[in-house]
Amino acid sequence: MTPQSLLQLTSQKCTTGCPILDRLLYGGIPCDSITEIVAESGSGKTQICLQLSLHAQLPVSHGGLAASSLYLHTEFPFPFRRLHQLCLSFRSSNAHHFPVNDNPCDRIFVQSVHTADHLLEIMSKTDPFIENSKNQVPVRLIVIDSIAALFRSDFDNTPVELKRRSSLFFKISSKLKALAKRFNLAVLVTNQVVDLVGPNEGINGLRIGNLVCLHTSGRRVCPALGLAWANCVNSRLFLSRNEEVIREENEKSNGQSCDFVKKKMRKLYVVFAPHLPESSCEFEITREGLFGVER
Amino acid sequence: MEIWRLPISASQRGKLISAGYTSLSSLSSISSSDLARELNVSESEAMNILKVASHSRGSETSNASCSIVEGAQSAWDMLHDEESLMHITTSSADLDNILGGGIHCKEVTEIGGVPGIGKTQLGIQIAVNVQIPNDFGGLGGKAIYIDTEGSFMVERAFQIAEACIEDMSEYNRFLRKDFQECKIKMQPQDILENIFYFRICSYTEQIALINYLDKFLSEHKDVKVIVVDSVTFHFRQDFDDMALRTRVLSGMALKLMNLAKRFSLAVVLLNQVTTKHTEASFQLALALV
Repeated sequence: MTPQSLLQLTSQKCTTGCPILDRLLYGGIPCDSITEIVAESGSGKTQICLQLSLHAQLPVSHGGLAASSLYLHTEFPFPFRRLHQLCLSFRSSNAHHFPVNDNPCDRIFVQSVHTADHLLEIMSKTDPFIENSKNQVPVRLIVIDSIAALFRSDFDNTPVELKRRSSLFFKISSKLKALAKRFNLAVLVTNQVVDLVGPNEGINGLRIGNLVCLHTSGRRVCPALGLAWANCVNSRLFLSRNEEVIREENEKSNGQSCDFVKKKMRKLYVVFAPHLPESSCEFEITREGLFGVER
Repeated sequence: MEIWRLPISASQRGKLISAGYTSLSSLSSISSSDLARELNVSESEAMNILKVASHSRGSETSNASCSIVEGAQSAWDMLHDEESLMHITTSSADLDNILGGGIHCKEVTEIGGVPGIGKTQLGIQIAVNVQIPNDFGGLGGKAIYIDTEGSFMVERAFQIAEACIEDMSEYNRFLRKDFQECKIKMQPQDILENIFYFRICSYTEQIALINYLDKFLSEHKDVKVIVVDSVTFHFRQDFDDMALRTRVLSGMALKLMNLAKRFSLAVVLLNQVTTKHTEASFQLALALV
């Protein structure tokens, strides 16, 4: 066993497609580590995943990984139409990298996953799959959307089942990390949220292991799957959405109620990461994809 | 070396042992008049004994460490040793205070916490701080970083190394205004080079590496700290045989303690936490304790 030389161990990053988000993430999603995106439904998790699968195909000089991606989805149906839409705008803005008849969607391999055991099965088959892909465009990004869906219904609330669930977390995470190390992959996992009831201080806060208060849609939430899964990921990002009142309109002089103009405010937070400070930035979701907003 | 090997008369030997002096190191800090009083012998005889003892000790300095392992060491000597050992600063004065000066060498320190609290950051900081040269109050040693989770980010280590060097230059500027020669020659790249980084992906690799460290440390004597980032991560998967897991873990812990004592280095273990269901409440507990 020889130690690795740190000076040659620079971690590659996969760009998110938006320079503002890339700045927040110091380059993008890192390789050889598991990044988790936590958000409630409708916040943009799948959008980011699709966008990353496309941008991973960019050459390394432009922040991509020059690679294809493996997309494992658990929540049906897979958003093919949205992917196609994103693909069109991606192609038009990056036309010089791709030949004319090329379809970036060809380099996204989609697989549906039903249960946690199915996922383990798939991962044992992933090794030779990625090995073979080295001949064409190598797979360098694995997306699992979402990991929470696999675990939220199959397990009873008994200690034995919970223990089995926890040990499955570690098994899956350890396999993913081994894959990530072996092929230098970036792994992106999405997770859902659960509501946090009760005070955040004291034992309740400790139980969830959540030191940071996460808010979305006016509720206090914490990531699903608990403390055990939180130990398995390397970085965690949180997407929140809120309705914010930006100004009043139609102010009537006789004191009648006026209309408030509400705006959907979406923010991306870095909850924890070994290489990032705690920071956040606003973003918006448009037809072309998910982009940061500079204020 | 034991007293019974000293070339002195049997009666003197008997008096020494009955008075409680069983090893040479216990005779090192006593004066001849005190010894004469204790043994009930003349002062010249006591001086003779001490001379013989120091002579034998002088000729056996190469076996000195052997004697400390074989025989008992007096508590006074142990206190001396402990006080003379340097600590590794954690770059936080409060934390150093709690730890009694910093991370102690010859000891295993376990640090646990929830994800995202800063365990890896502390681990990297310690791996950088151990390299602070002796002139600045550090150990000037190298570090071994064993990464089981893949959370070590080189760019972050580079940032921390840069900050450490900046810190040292500040210290230089304030306190050593006259000594121009004490310029910092260290570069962040040098600091990174002195961290031996191992990445392991399974518990078998972890055990194999800890066994290999013996050989590695005898070749690299300037390593002063071993940081294991998440010592329990790979053991939390389904280990069907719990007894085996306990055996393996305790074996590993013993080996690390052995390494710490033998090579006089510090071992820092970073651990995760789990929730413990006790009666009706939940508590955070270190994993696999």
